[in-house]
Amino acid sequence: MINKGDTKAGLYKDTLIAGLWRENPVFRLLLGMCPTLAVTAAVKPALTMGLSVIFVLVCSNIVVSLMRNLLKPHLRILMFTLTIATFVTIADLFLKAFVPRMSETLGPYVPLIIVNCIIICRAETCASKNTLGVSIIDALGMGVGFTLTLCVLAGVRELLSTGKIFEVQIMPSVFVPWAAMGMPVGAFLTLGLLLGLVNMITSRKT
Amino acid sequence: MLKMIKHFIQQSWLLIVASFFFGLLIAATNYALSERIEQNKVEKFNRLTAALLAEAKPELAAELEIDSLSGKGQSVKVYKVVTKKGECIGWSFKADGPGFADKIELVVTVDKGFERIAGFDVLASNETPGFGDKIKDDYYRRQFKGAPSDVLELVKTGKPERSDSEIVAITGATVSSEAVVKIINNSLLQIKKQMLEKGLISNDK
Repeated sequence: MINKGDTKAGLYKDTLIAGLWRENPVFRLLLGMCPTLAVTAAVKPALTMGLSVIFVLVCSNIVVSLMRNLLKPHLRILMFTLTIATFVTIADLFLKAFVPRMSETLGPYVPLIIVNCIIICRAETCASKNTLGVSIIDALGMGVGFTLTLCVLAGVRELLSTGKIFEVQIMPSVFVPWAAMGMPVGAFLTLGLLLGLVNMITSRKT
Repeated sequence: MLKMIKHFIQQSWLLIVASFFFGLLIAATNYALSERIEQNKVEKFNRLTAALLAEAKPELAAELEIDSLSGKGQSVKVYKVVTKKGECIGWSFKADGPGFADKIELVVTVDKGFERIAGFDVLASNETPGFGDKIKDDYYRRQFKGAPSDVLELVKTGKPERSDSEIVAITGATVSSEAVVKIINNSLLQIKKQMLEKGLISNDK
């Protein structure tokens, strides 16, 4: 999975880049599709979701990495889920306390981070096998990669469905908003087209 | 026997210890933030009431004891909604009950004499996005505006634009639509009765 760099710094850099591009959770691994499709109607909720996932991912990777030598193989998934659920609950409480309106917009998708494949995948493939440093870098890379992907998707959808981004008018006044882009069909269309674009770019490189 | 217990502890000690610490962590976070979350809810209640009953301020008027939908006793705070001039224009209270996925909490406002519903809004819910959460939509909420504060009935087809006791259900979300009607019926009638008994409102027009 992770190309071992010659030096420690090389390894960290490799790990970070992997999450951002080479193993981007959404575009390359196709993980975490539920939030990707559900909360990308506008950039703000997508960004909040991304930041929540980064928080949960980093915390759970730290905890899992610290207890990796104590894990019993048949109980490991249970431990991962327990760890993730704890940090998701904490993130949910913070959102409810400090950004109540955003918490309402995201609704059940915040508690659903518990079953987000990206976080379980990182705990299983990275944090339970690597040192603390690598796990944190991996979590940051994957988390930021996920957030950026959500924001790109949400940016395209918000721009086409309302002509605005962050409530700032971008499109000229002659632009007719495509309401469909804000609906689920827009999520599937945009994701499909972006996946195709990423595949095109990567296949050209190799 | 002792061997089994030893084996059990050996296998699961990490899980038990971790559960304890994680529980502690959540409890601490909840303790630190619960006040703020409560405050947010109060603010939202006031905001929704004001939106439903022309920019007015709710004042606590009575605390009543009613039977909740699960059959247990429940205390409800009824707020008197007054304008800036001090004139009472209606009442507002919180009502809750089970929805499709989770508890639904509503703000219900009624007119001065408890005769007609002024409207309701959703304070908190976790209904299915795209289906059950349409209880927040105007199409559904509009039907309660001006409906008599009597037993409301959910129907599958009808005229949603009429303000009567018939509420047309949302397609694909019968359970959520029914839940809202049940919640409003349950609290509204009990509160109305108690308000009459307490003399806070009178029957004559």
